[in-house]
Amino acid sequence: MSEQIKPDLKFINSVINAGGESLKKCFQCATCSVVCKVTPDDKPFPRKEMVQAQWGLKDKLLSNPDIWLCHQCSDCTAYCPRGAKPGEVLGAIRKLSIEHYAFPSFVGKAVADPKFLLLTFAVPVLIFGAVLMALGNLKIPDGEIVYAEKFMPVPVIDAVFIMSAIFAMIGFGVGITRYWKDLTSGTKVKGLPMAAIMATVTEFLAHKKFKTCEETVDRSRSHLFTFYGFVGLAITTTWAIVYLYGMQWLSPYPLRDPMKIFGNLSAASLLIGITLVIINRLKHAEKAGSGSYFDWLFIGVIFTIVTTGLLSEILRLLHVPVLAYPVYFIHLVVVFFLFAYAPFSKMAHMVYRTTALVYAKHTGRDKA
Amino acid sequence: MAENKKVLVIGGGFSGLTAAVETAEAGSEVIIVEKTPFFGGRVTQLNKYFPKLCPPNCGLEINFKRIKNSGDVAYHTLAEVEKITGQEGAFEVTVKIKPRYVNDKCVGCNACAEACPVEMPNEFNFGLDTTKAAYITHNQAFPFIYAIDDRYCKGKACGKCAEACKYNAIDLDMKPETITLKVSSIILAAGWDLYDVSKLDNLGGGKIKNVITNMQMERLASPNGPTAGKVLRPSDGKEVKNIAFVQCAGSRDENHLPYCSFICCMASLKQATYVREQYPDAKAEIFYIDIRTPGRYEQFYWKVKDDPNVTLTKGKVAGITEDPATGDVILEAEDIFGGKKIRRSFDMVVLAAGMVPSTKNSKIPVEVSLTPDGFVLPATLQKGIYAVGTLKSPVDVAKSVQDATGVAIKSIQSARR
Amino acid sequence: MEKKFGVYICKGCGIGETVDIEKLKKNTAGGARVPAEQIKEHGILCSPEGLELIRNDVKEGTNTIIVGACSPRVKFEEFDFPGTLTERVNLREFVSWTQEPMTEATQTLAEDYLKMGVIKTQKGNLPEPNILPDLSNAIMVIGGGISGLTAALEAANAGYQVTLVEKEAELGGWSAKLYKEAPRQYPYEKLDEPMIFDKIKEVEAHQNIKVYKSTTIEKTDGQPGLFDVTLAANGASETIKVGAFIMAAGWKPYDATKLVHLGYGNPNVITSVQMEEMAKKGKIIRPSDGKEAKKVAFIQCAGSRDANHLPYCSSFCCATSLKQAQYVREKNSDAVAMIFYKDIRTPGQSELFYKNMQNNPGVLLTKAEVSAITDAGNGNLYVEADHTFLGEKIQVEADLVVLAIGVVPATRAPQEYLDGLTEAGKKGDDAKKAYVDETAKPDFILNLNYKQGPELPTLEGAYGFADSNFICFQYETRRTGIYSAGCVRQPMNMAEAAQDAAGAALKAIQCVEHVATGTAVHPRAWDQTFPDPMMIKCTSCKRCTDECPFGAIDEDAKGTPFFRVNRCRRCATCLGACPERIVSFKDFSVDIVGSMLKAIDINEDDFRILVLACENDAYPALDSAAIKRMKISPSVRIIPVRCLGATNLVWVTDAFSTGIDGVLLLGCKYGENYQCHFVKGSELANYRFSKVQETLNKLQLEAERCQLIQVSISEYDKLPQIINDFVARVEEIGPNPFKDL
Repeated sequence: MSEQIKPDLKFINSVINAGGESLKKCFQCATCSVVCKVTPDDKPFPRKEMVQAQWGLKDKLLSNPDIWLCHQCSDCTAYCPRGAKPGEVLGAIRKLSIEHYAFPSFVGKAVADPKFLLLTFAVPVLIFGAVLMALGNLKIPDGEIVYAEKFMPVPVIDAVFIMSAIFAMIGFGVGITRYWKDLTSGTKVKGLPMAAIMATVTEFLAHKKFKTCEETVDRSRSHLFTFYGFVGLAITTTWAIVYLYGMQWLSPYPLRDPMKIFGNLSAASLLIGITLVIINRLKHAEKAGSGSYFDWLFIGVIFTIVTTGLLSEILRLLHVPVLAYPVYFIHLVVVFFLFAYAPFSKMAHMVYRTTALVYAKHTGRDKA
Repeated sequence: MAENKKVLVIGGGFSGLTAAVETAEAGSEVIIVEKTPFFGGRVTQLNKYFPKLCPPNCGLEINFKRIKNSGDVAYHTLAEVEKITGQEGAFEVTVKIKPRYVNDKCVGCNACAEACPVEMPNEFNFGLDTTKAAYITHNQAFPFIYAIDDRYCKGKACGKCAEACKYNAIDLDMKPETITLKVSSIILAAGWDLYDVSKLDNLGGGKIKNVITNMQMERLASPNGPTAGKVLRPSDGKEVKNIAFVQCAGSRDENHLPYCSFICCMASLKQATYVREQYPDAKAEIFYIDIRTPGRYEQFYWKVKDDPNVTLTKGKVAGITEDPATGDVILEAEDIFGGKKIRRSFDMVVLAAGMVPSTKNSKIPVEVSLTPDGFVLPATLQKGIYAVGTLKSPVDVAKSVQDATGVAIKSIQSARR
Repeated sequence: MEKKFGVYICKGCGIGETVDIEKLKKNTAGGARVPAEQIKEHGILCSPEGLELIRNDVKEGTNTIIVGACSPRVKFEEFDFPGTLTERVNLREFVSWTQEPMTEATQTLAEDYLKMGVIKTQKGNLPEPNILPDLSNAIMVIGGGISGLTAALEAANAGYQVTLVEKEAELGGWSAKLYKEAPRQYPYEKLDEPMIFDKIKEVEAHQNIKVYKSTTIEKTDGQPGLFDVTLAANGASETIKVGAFIMAAGWKPYDATKLVHLGYGNPNVITSVQMEEMAKKGKIIRPSDGKEAKKVAFIQCAGSRDANHLPYCSSFCCATSLKQAQYVREKNSDAVAMIFYKDIRTPGQSELFYKNMQNNPGVLLTKAEVSAITDAGNGNLYVEADHTFLGEKIQVEADLVVLAIGVVPATRAPQEYLDGLTEAGKKGDDAKKAYVDETAKPDFILNLNYKQGPELPTLEGAYGFADSNFICFQYETRRTGIYSAGCVRQPMNMAEAAQDAAGAALKAIQCVEHVATGTAVHPRAWDQTFPDPMMIKCTSCKRCTDECPFGAIDEDAKGTPFFRVNRCRRCATCLGACPERIVSFKDFSVDIVGSMLKAIDINEDDFRILVLACENDAYPALDSAAIKRMKISPSVRIIPVRCLGATNLVWVTDAFSTGIDGVLLLGCKYGENYQCHFVKGSELANYRFSKVQETLNKLQLEAERCQLIQVSISEYDKLPQIINDFVARVEEIGPNPFKDL
């Protein structure tokens, strides 16, 4: 029985606009599939994804786990004889996939579209601005710099972030449920494949797959720094919760405190990681593509988080209140952005990629 | 005929020869300058033509005979045009003639080559073997006069060739000379070079012994080639029973040559027949993006495809490695319709390397705009100057002949204006 | 001309060490009856001193020169003595380089060759060109499409009067029907406006060109330089004289009604030709209801590359569909153009065009085997395709389907009709009459009044294309002075057709220039000799009229052959064909070769093998083997012939009756992919050769004593072995019993 193919020009254009502008150049020579080190041998990607995208076969692509098996090493892009940059195109499709499964979907659209950049940032600015106004803290406070006491009380921050985290969790929950349903529709996969989840996590912790990239081998290192920077900061945050709520010990903490040391090290790791990401991106732009708005937004947010975070600390120690408070404010805004919009920004790759890898491992699709 | 009514043809390959003899036979005097010591260009290096599988030297022989019989075709070998001034009807062309070190008294007896102690890489055979510094490319070469390659020859310090020559034909004191030609029009037929496959880092070009180019394959299959026509692989001289052809090796590739080189599909299909004819049990596999056999060439494609020992696999080869133990070559490709990434091992692999206009390696002596790929944009040539064949676009011999014949009438028009 | 002979023997290149020169001179003086003082030797004959020796004799009155030195393929500038009859005897390649030195067999061989050379000049004469009176150098161009217009302009700009004949009321052909053209040059980004209209203006304004529209050719009489062409227009006719033709009659789209499986017949399935018309008119619509088409499917190879339809690729349809996809997109940015192809064929730099068109978001491509176009029920259609990039079996809806229709040359219909007529003719006159009555006669193009038929013989197995079979010689046809150009020759695009037309124009002017000097055109360009039959001895057997590969021989009212010398290519096939041996050239005749072979020394103790070798390929191959110093049996005597088709069987019988033990004929490959430079020569030799066997039987000789072998120039490495094997086989059979007689 033949399969009905329904070309969708809108989708083609959306891939093009999402950073896949080179998409149409592909002439299906399959160089990409051959040079790709992470694709399975059977029905390899990204050649087939390229033609599906060229024809706008939205349904085949958005729920396609293969788009997440790609780690955007860009070996394919470097060797592509046509300049079609499959790495970039798959990145664009992943973005569209995130947007597609986004809940609520209007947030997904807003985060994905540069037109709404200001609006998306306006949300945390307004929230935190309103809090400051309510507290009467809109002026730069005098004396020693204490962010929690004189500027933004921790419970308020917690309240806002817990709310945003819940929002994000719901977003992720709905998105992933839909995605998993699409993934497994028409297959025999039922329930949660625990073994595959474990395997995915262990593999991920060592960045095994990432290291197989040839063209941009340095990317695995930068990603590793970034990733463990985040992990460290997550641990630091938990640690701080223990100090604050468990031991009723208010910030700021002395520099020699183990939690502080750990936190600063994590921040340093993140800074190194994200800086390397930026350097690598620029270095490989010619061969691997310069990246899309979606990519750079995410990179920018992380970079801003880590720089404003560290600056907040440094400016506090140097006692420059005129800069310290605004920087801290920006820090809060971008952290909010990262948390609240996690299911809609590139951050979501963490969850979708993991899901896709689990599925791939479970169905034997993943390359050993 | 007045001196300035002559037509100058730059390049003595098949396009240049055709332009020259066709022009002469239509009534103009012609001068051909060829920068190597021999005429025939790339075509002399081919074993057979597609799709007829006939020998190129057959047509060359006729064209050489046409030159001999015409009386209106003068020629210079080892000659390079240095400067062109003037305009249509009155061009003045400065030509530098490099020394051949062998004069017209040469009878072609081979004594100099036998006496010569210097072995040099045989460029005619694309380095597959060596030749003497006093040499002739092959036994149907034209002109049939030996040449001495001064990049390798030790000169008078050695002088063994001069001693051996009974005909006073060796002149190791020969000096370059410069001549001036007055012509009414100029035909550029400088031809093409093969793309440098060492730039194809993922295809082992120039690194893996048993990965050769399509032009080397022609030499291997030619009776006047390094193996006297036996297709034997370079590493160990083993008979090639299992061969792969990698299409678009450089061509249709932005990182190398963005255009299609026109001839490579037909050339590989043809070369598959060389192997199949020599070894009845041999297998050949051709990896391609699109098979391009326009016009009646399609029939040749069908004929080769119908051979059960020839496989055509849709998918570009993107990785080639060597099995160091056996010397075999391992190809990596996606068999698109087989739905699999494949790795297959072959005795020898031929890279269907692309065509590069000669303007990329040596400047043409006229004011003209070139495409970024080095092809001449004919409309930007000065009036009275015409480009032909592969200088303008990648074409096969047949199309070069059409073009050269067409350009001949333009040169006649110039001469008569 | 009183002949004064001079025989010059070179001792260089090992000849002096291989042959006893004194004996050779003595033998030549005796055997060939040349005064001893006119036989000279020199250490290096091609040296300035050696040449001086000959030139001094020429000054003294020597006018018939026999050079016993190297092959005529080399030292041609040195051994050129204008105004003399010069014969080169190949003592170097055929003796010195291929034989054991100083043996009796080698000596006899050299003596035979030199004797044969002398006899050839004794029997032959210096040629004088045959220039026919009242020659025209005007060119006629058939067809007013891109090829015809270009050919007319090129010939006219070279100073020739041109008559252009177009059967339609307007010039321009298919080009004028195009909306746009695929880009003609770098960077291959934008579609070009058709270039044809400028050409039409230029042609119509050109003072050297006369245009006849709505005109066809009723009859073409005569020969190059002297063609009388009767033109028919609106019931009136006019006869004009021209020197040569360019036939650019163009092409027709393949009959789409045969493509029912691709949905043709459904109003929403159109051909690429119809698509041009539609685009030219305006919107791209669904013909059934005039609604704007938004999903347009292009089916490549509609008819082409299909064993049931056109087994060739029509070359330009890929670029055409890419171009038309651009029409779709340009006229409606919401529309998609879907191209289903077998292979995208945009060779050379047109790859850049593919790349640029492909980059359009709404141009979608997939490799596919389109199995059917079916009705989708809503006026739309389904494209059903297998083996696509999108799936094994897919179905795509389209509101308009465009069939990229293949090319059929205008020459095909007449060709098929004439083939049918020949077939019917074989079954007898009744069948032939029935065929003529029942078969619709297509439009003929040339209507040649030639014994061999009214049209340009197209290439066998070329599906009606009037193409050349020669890769190196693209404009070769079997009708001298008539050259084809454009799609009638091969499928090609506009730019290629224009280029092709220029080439054909050059060939046409070459032809008129050569007949003006009474010399042959390719492949024996400049040859002043011509066939000069002794007609009083002609029996009107018509073998020559049948066999001439170029239709050069007609018959007069009484059925007597009549040579049209300007059509002749000097292959001497007529000479080979004639049982009465009446055809002679000044330097090549039945008598000349017959006398040469009779001069061969027949020795009872030794074998003698005659090799008749085609001078185009076999002879250079023999030379090349000699350069490699490969040994050839000393029993062999080689006589070059213009073409193996020039072999007269009497030579074979003469050879055997004089005691020669075997005859080997070396010619070019014939049949499909023939390499014979005279198209049919070697094939005819083979045909005649089958009759040799009868002769041999009559003489009670073994059939194996005579053999025809096809060799190419590159088989020089095998040739000595082939010859030596033949010699061995003849030796096995034993000596020719006629030797004793």
